[in-house]
Amino acid sequence: MKEDKKKDRLCPHEEQYLEKVAKAREQWEEKLIAPRLKRFNLEKPNTSFYTPLDRAGSNFLENVGFPGLYPFTAGNSPLEFWKVHARLAAEMGFRPDWGGTRGVGKYGGFGTAGDYRDYLIRMHSMGRKGGPNIAFDLATQCGLDSDSEQALGEVGRVGVAIDCFQDFATIYEPYTGELEIDKVPSNFTINAPCCVIIAMYAVLAKKRGISPAALRGTPQNDILKEFIARGTYIYPPGPSLRLFRDSLVFLREKMPLLNVNSMGGYHIREAGATREQDLAFSMANAAAYLEAGVEAGLDVNDFAALFTFNAFGGSMEMYHEIAFQRAARRVYARMLKEQFGTTNPKAMIIRQPITAHIGCSSTTLQRPLNNWIRAAVGGIAAGMTGAIPGVFPPFDEPLGLGHSIEATQMQFDATRILLYETGITDVLDPWAGSYFMETLTDEIEAGALAEMDKINQMGGTVAAIESGYMQKAIAKSAYEKQKRIEARQDFVVGVNCFTSELELEVSINRDVEPTYDPALMATAEERQVESLKKMKASRDNKAVASLLNTLKAHAKDKDKNLMPDICDCVENHCTLQEICDVMREVFGEFKQAKL
Amino acid sequence: MTDNAKIRVLIAKPGLDGHERGARVIAYGLRDAGFEVIYTGLRQTPAQIASAAVQEDVDVIGLSILSGAHLALTKQLKEQLAARKGEDILLIVGGIIPENDIDTLKQMGVAGVFTAGTPVSQVADFIRQNLQKAA
Repeated sequence: MKEDKKKDRLCPHEEQYLEKVAKAREQWEEKLIAPRLKRFNLEKPNTSFYTPLDRAGSNFLENVGFPGLYPFTAGNSPLEFWKVHARLAAEMGFRPDWGGTRGVGKYGGFGTAGDYRDYLIRMHSMGRKGGPNIAFDLATQCGLDSDSEQALGEVGRVGVAIDCFQDFATIYEPYTGELEIDKVPSNFTINAPCCVIIAMYAVLAKKRGISPAALRGTPQNDILKEFIARGTYIYPPGPSLRLFRDSLVFLREKMPLLNVNSMGGYHIREAGATREQDLAFSMANAAAYLEAGVEAGLDVNDFAALFTFNAFGGSMEMYHEIAFQRAARRVYARMLKEQFGTTNPKAMIIRQPITAHIGCSSTTLQRPLNNWIRAAVGGIAAGMTGAIPGVFPPFDEPLGLGHSIEATQMQFDATRILLYETGITDVLDPWAGSYFMETLTDEIEAGALAEMDKINQMGGTVAAIESGYMQKAIAKSAYEKQKRIEARQDFVVGVNCFTSELELEVSINRDVEPTYDPALMATAEERQVESLKKMKASRDNKAVASLLNTLKAHAKDKDKNLMPDICDCVENHCTLQEICDVMREVFGEFKQAKL
Repeated sequence: MTDNAKIRVLIAKPGLDGHERGARVIAYGLRDAGFEVIYTGLRQTPAQIASAAVQEDVDVIGLSILSGAHLALTKQLKEQLAARKGEDILLIVGGIIPENDIDTLKQMGVAGVFTAGTPVSQVADFIRQNLQKAA
């Protein structure tokens, strides 16, 4: 280690210079710090200051490098699309939430497929023509049909209910002509039954006479984080990874333009993980997906370039979140290069739509307008880490009623103010070389790597999930955080401080756009169950039984890719749950370890 | 304080919602506050929760719901509890509960509704006070 440092000296006189700085620091501590500690009766200061001493021997080219170059600490690219076109976007008043033919529309979904289709038609008539960005209801996410007892009360609630191919096809009815599925991309935020949804997309293309190879989009397909946080798993992690492999091989072969997954630590951090756990667990998950591809005989240089991330977690500690993003880029790039032997730079970068943010769990129900400034802090952090300075979430996020048009307007305007009035994104990685930021980046990286080592010693992410290690670790972190808030070690304004009657509850008008018709929501379950019944009565049930049998036989052979069978099932109107049930019989269901 | 040892709490996640940070934090917190806590884990039906509550002879059920299905699920649980003579069990609900629904839940027989930002100590105090009242 010491020898390395010697080699990396910035200049021949660095040693003497550092000695000078060290002496100056000593004098500063003695003459300025010590008397103040005495005066305030403190053991040590609650501030810090970084000098060249903290970075002695650091190697800029090796650890930071240029934006767009390995190890990508300073960013994925020296010029992003949004930055190049920022002026044009302002001149034309571009609304990112409306989407265009280049991208997907706003994330959403509710009720029956017909309800959601009608909503999309309404959006299209308003010029919001992005591709489907589908939220599925919890029953669908858990591989259950709408007529399942467990689905009671959940049908069409947090997303759209998809029971069979006909439901899926219904959503796409308005996507023809200039919005044909080979022209607009789709996003599917689903994990455990992701194979079934991918199959539906492929079958839809086939029925329309379009090559699946022309389809674009992103399935979430990140089942491992569901075991660690969020909870919409079905099968144990081993068979779940096998299904991931099957989807990966199928996508590379038949739908090469489709991204493979959208991974992340966002859900993990929101569930309570520390920054280091967030980074370590999501990297361990990524490693498992990468290994699945390598074991299937695929070229990592090819398929890893189709891996994406949705987001990591965030917090109000903006210095730490900036360092986190820098560390994450470096850890991922080094893992791809050193561990997986990747040579393709595109396969080494974390492709994610946003970078730093505060995380929804930083928002408070108390005095909710304050969340606007909280989210703006996240926007500043994002702007300093190579992304659009996205202010997220809208201030009324914790009210749980959907975002109001006022909160959404304020969110967009805050982002625009940062982007157009501050110049925050004019400099790439503005913290590069900061004695402080580089030290913090190293610390977060080291913490995450230590945690990753631990997971490796346990046998990797699957073993760490099966033993409940990751789940317990983040539950413990969440509880520690709660204890710090209750003991007022951590302050949250309006929650555990400044809560007296002297404070004013500032309120503003809040109109929630009637996106999802409450009358439709109320009857969705009944209507969906009815249409499912009709569909089951009208299909060729003999073919259904035979195809499900074949799927079952092939599921038992782990070398078999199940995607062709799942496609056959989907095309012949097997339901989502029927397909998942067959695999439940073979794979079993995941049981969470006790708390 | 010694009375706390006798208070048995079932923390339950009804429905398919998998957001369990709140449930786990409350479970840990009430345990540290001296309660005996059982956590059901995810995806429990109201019937399963009612049956576990009666079998385990708990004093309190804490439902954690963040999916918006709180009205339907709470109503079902009340029915299931009544069918098993468990209607005396103190029922509290936590999660993302819109202001307007809090009264509706209380009319259904929910003793307390706790939303984001509530200290665990407040939940613990609420349970102690309400069980005393009932005794």
